[in-house]
Amino acid sequence: MKLARRPRRRAPETIVALIDVVFFLLVFFMLVGRMDATAPFDVLPPLASGGADMPGGGVTLSVSSEGVLALDGVLRDRAEVLRALAEVLARDPDTLVRINADRAAELRRVLPLASEIEALGAREVVLVLSPALP
Amino acid sequence: MRLGRTSSDRGGISLVAMVDVLMILLVFFMVTSTYLDLDMVPLAGTRDASGEGATVAEAGLAEEERLLIRLGADGRGYVQGEALPLPALGALLAERLAAAPGLDVIVLPSAQATVQALASLMDVAIAAGVQRLRVVRLEAVR
Repeated sequence: MKLARRPRRRAPETIVALIDVVFFLLVFFMLVGRMDATAPFDVLPPLASGGADMPGGGVTLSVSSEGVLALDGVLRDRAEVLRALAEVLARDPDTLVRINADRAAELRRVLPLASEIEALGAREVVLVLSPALP
Repeated sequence: MRLGRTSSDRGGISLVAMVDVLMILLVFFMVTSTYLDLDMVPLAGTRDASGEGATVAEAGLAEEERLLIRLGADGRGYVQGEALPLPALGALLAERLAAAPGLDVIVLPSAQATVQALASLMDVAIAAGVQRLRVVRLEAVR
């Protein structure tokens, strides 16, 4: 009796190492990154070397060089921004409010806003900086 | 003739689907993320504002313990009407700080000055060792 030889199955390539690498990359990107909505316009924060590290959380108010406002990545006018911030700060006055203003924006578009946000009860309003080499 | 039954391969859990999901997640994070290294500087707020609302006179500061810097629309700092470039301003601040370590620096920026000009001025003050810096602005009375 002649038996047909079973076709030898090729050993599958191990993909465990690939999974490890992909998983580590995924975890790395998830840990080092902070998910934050970006403004729908270009914002170049001012360069400075004396800033402190920025913690996560809070809300981001972006101000373009022409004074256009966006709150957490959504275009809003001034009244809408203040109304939304008032609601957020009423819930939690410790909410960090980040003002991400373009470096070319005039201060008349930024400082009155900061004062009004402070008047809403914000305990911490910070200006976002882009670290420059000392 | 008796042939031994070949042991059938146990079907393992396929990892291919998991790899696909991981890869898609990874590509999503890499493509949608913009990696920025940003810093911050306090601008306003009531946290740690122990002297908030107190005028300089009420705070009991002597004349030599405070310094008013006007930030012009041209981005230069003016002290007592004299325009000072940033390095000279830093030297002046260091000199004043040596005499009065608790120097209270008040910055009065022009409305037309840019955010960069204010940040640069604050940067020079921080580098000089200023501990108390306030930004004030004029407000029209309605």
